[in-house]
Amino acid sequence: MTSSPATSQAAGTDGRTVLRQLTRVLGAVIVLLVIWRVATVGLAEGYPASFWISQALNGLVLGGVYALVALGYTLVYGILFMINFAHGEVMMIGGITGYFALQFALARGWMEGPWAVVVFALLLIMVIGMAASVLIGVALERLAYRPLRQAPRLVPLISAIGASLFLQYSVLLIFGVSPHSYRKPALISGGLRLGDVFIPYTGAIIFITSILLMLALYFIIQRTKLGRAMRAVAEDRATASLMGVDVNAVIVVTFMLGSALAGAAGVMLGFHNTVVKFNSGFIPGLKAFTAAVLGGIGNIPGAMFGALILGLIEAIGPSALGIPTEYKDVIAFSLLVLILIFRPTGLFGEVLSEKKA
Amino acid sequence: MPLQTATGAVRTGLVAFGFLGYLILIGIPAKLGGPALPVLALVAALFFWLILRRESAGLSAVGTGPVPASLERKAGWEIGPQSASDASSVRERLPYQLSQSVLLKGLLAGATLGILIAVVSGIAAAAMGNGIAIQPVFDKIVPINVAALIGVSPGQIPQAEVPFFRYLLQVLFFTGAGLLASLAAAAGRSGLTHAAPIAKLSEQVSGPTIASASRYAGIALPFVLLAYIGWLGLPGVSAFGSNEGTVRLLFTLVATGSGLFAWRLSLPGRERSIVAVLLGLGVLTLPFILDQFQNSVMGLVFIFVMMGLGLNIVVGYAGLLDLGYVAFFAIGAYTYAFLSAPFSSPYISNLLNILGISPETPLLGYWTALPVAMLTAAIGGILLGIPVLRLRGDYLAIVTLGFGEIIRLFMLNLGELTNGPRGILEISQPNLFGLSPATVTSGLLSSQGWTFFVALISSALVAFVAIRLNSSRLGRAWFAMQEDEDVAEATGVHLVRTKLLAFAIGATFAGMAGQLYAARQINIFPENFSLFVSIDALALIIVGGIGSPAGIVLGALALKGLPEVLRGVDEYRIVAFAALLVIMMIVRPAGILPSARRRIQLADPVEAGLDSTAEPVEETDLVEQTGTSKQTANGQEEAK
Repeated sequence: MTSSPATSQAAGTDGRTVLRQLTRVLGAVIVLLVIWRVATVGLAEGYPASFWISQALNGLVLGGVYALVALGYTLVYGILFMINFAHGEVMMIGGITGYFALQFALARGWMEGPWAVVVFALLLIMVIGMAASVLIGVALERLAYRPLRQAPRLVPLISAIGASLFLQYSVLLIFGVSPHSYRKPALISGGLRLGDVFIPYTGAIIFITSILLMLALYFIIQRTKLGRAMRAVAEDRATASLMGVDVNAVIVVTFMLGSALAGAAGVMLGFHNTVVKFNSGFIPGLKAFTAAVLGGIGNIPGAMFGALILGLIEAIGPSALGIPTEYKDVIAFSLLVLILIFRPTGLFGEVLSEKKA
Repeated sequence: MPLQTATGAVRTGLVAFGFLGYLILIGIPAKLGGPALPVLALVAALFFWLILRRESAGLSAVGTGPVPASLERKAGWEIGPQSASDASSVRERLPYQLSQSVLLKGLLAGATLGILIAVVSGIAAAAMGNGIAIQPVFDKIVPINVAALIGVSPGQIPQAEVPFFRYLLQVLFFTGAGLLASLAAAAGRSGLTHAAPIAKLSEQVSGPTIASASRYAGIALPFVLLAYIGWLGLPGVSAFGSNEGTVRLLFTLVATGSGLFAWRLSLPGRERSIVAVLLGLGVLTLPFILDQFQNSVMGLVFIFVMMGLGLNIVVGYAGLLDLGYVAFFAIGAYTYAFLSAPFSSPYISNLLNILGISPETPLLGYWTALPVAMLTAAIGGILLGIPVLRLRGDYLAIVTLGFGEIIRLFMLNLGELTNGPRGILEISQPNLFGLSPATVTSGLLSSQGWTFFVALISSALVAFVAIRLNSSRLGRAWFAMQEDEDVAEATGVHLVRTKLLAFAIGATFAGMAGQLYAARQINIFPENFSLFVSIDALALIIVGGIGSPAGIVLGALALKGLPEVLRGVDEYRIVAFAALLVIMMIVRPAGILPSARRRIQLADPVEAGLDSTAEPVEETDLVEQTGTSKQTANGQEEAK
């Protein structure tokens, strides 16, 4: 049921064509306005180059984390055509669990030990966070989404909203309202100074880890039998099942992979923001979704690049536009709205927003 | 067979342990205090009973949702081979065989659960006794809960050794729960499941007299309740002691809700119009007989009825999932606030200077401000509508959600226009026929009574407009668009206009609701307009039944009214509600009082996809079936 551009064009000057022209004009106006604003206000402030570079590096770190979460959205969307609204909460669970693992490690003094022990402990914390996220992600699929696989599209989305609230407020009831603060071990709390640019170790580690995880995912999807099955299911579920692919298993594995990445992101975001609490997955989740849409949802490299771009825009945007940093969320959401309006396909994707599954 | 029964039983026990473990983690035992163990055992018994009953009824009890096949395999607690899903083959078995395996299974599952809980609480108690701090957070929660479970006071755990029989008691209690559940399930198998045919038979025997008598009783119920509420409000009358206010509120909610059923029970035609008029009059007397607290709750309920009706136009009629509906609510509220509160932002006074109006406060009264608020909200709706015209489904949901957040962030950060987080204070109250709470001092209507009264009138108006719109040409266009945009366009529906009208009309209603909300609150702040308002509004139309105005009133009563009655369990409200949302989607996606269109649509297997296993929603036995499957699914949901 896609409305291909050709049919719309053939319909002549109907409402949709006029609208399309209108949105194009509007898009051009908005882009020009933003450029004008940046040129007259942002650049006129005269920040040094090092400021922009460190902002950009911050953006890349944040973008790396968003990318991990965005991959979860994209993977699930690619296969089930549904938005896993609770994915941000899956990430938050990873962060919360990671916090407790960290407390455990701190209590045992592992964080003051030799560097090998610290690295091992950090890895362990991340793996525990990932495991918790995987558990929740699989449970979510089993209980909230699988029974609704045949239902109209609104139904699983509402179920996902319910699941998201359920997870948030369960964590609130179990662990309380107050934020839990991550304490960085001494080994990674410093930073690297290159001229005027300061690179914190955590930032560098987060960025490198997320790139490694993304490469691992890309390898799984492109090079393994499992990945081939996933791609087949994404292409055509019915045919894949006729070819002997166990669709249910593939869907579960998809949720596992996405949740594992989200769990890692949750732990890393915990180290980055230094706090986690019951609703700390919500806004990053939305941002990651924005990133997935930005890159074209269902498109894996798209999600990675979309997230990095979003991170950069969010970090540089407020200063470039000369507005307070409180508006960085507004920038991200506006970007989402603008992308969906002017390029619903995302930067790298195919038309999905008008597709009815 | 016995081995399968055993493994199935252990699995059931594990699932129950997950469910109860969740309840323990969120602090239920601490809340219950002394009787925690028996109450939890009862909960476990109920849980087991639901599972066992479903099996003994041949796995056919959960059949109301579109996905019974996948539900069956979900937790893997079925006895015997998959062919058991063939209901008739199970029914043909001898009852005693089934009861035997059910008995065994209940006993085993209960024992598994009991042993698990005893072991875990034993470990926790031992850890605490040895002074091992598990985690700072757990230290606050676990001791109280474990102590309540073992049946000692929290202080006792670290010092004195807990006697072993305390743990044995847990095992015994939960095993007993399993036994009880299996007995109940076996009994139900042999006799109680035949209750429904018996009822049907008795109806055939006794003829229509009883049926119509029960119908009249149903119609009379709300009036009886209303009379009772009025009597309770008389000076000198006292019942229920200190709980009277809450009980009256509960009765008010039930009376209003049962009024909807009474309306449905009445025969179309003269009888229905008489019932409707009487009901309307009865409900309109409520603001006069309730006190300030009850009126304020009911006022909020009916403000949300307006919200629900408006959102229903966008979501239920036009099929555009809008998660940023709070934006229009906020626009209405802030517009009225600007017009009636002493706070004046420089922007507004500049605007007034340009227009040549001398700024005075309040600028406009409630009713003169109403068109302004509605118009502003409608413009907001169109402004949101234009860019999202091309989007569908999930994308629309996320973009509108983004819009809602953007509006809230603006309200929070545009300090000069909206006074930022400090909010706008001293918004004036609505007046009616020249009377206002300030001028009426006789106490005929409390200030919240005014709000409730105005909310009632406004929501009646909104409901009338919504119902008429639904059956108008525009309503049919919306529905066609909801079904399939491309086909609708091909058959001559002007998509742009139809969509924009849906957004604008929905926003107008939200603007009305927002204005009344501002008047009710007197002081408004940006945090009044969080995403949760949108989610509440969406949830109430989903719970009530998408597309059905009566369902929306019911949903608002249930979701905004009941929590006020259940003040004590406030912290569990959102969790329960979120779980309910998921369960509702699984077992009854059309809502409590679904609209006819929606019911057909959701029951339509073509809509459901290729290899649909969907069954049409069965109308018979619905209450019973939904009741069970809801709670079963509840357990499954929380079991994780």
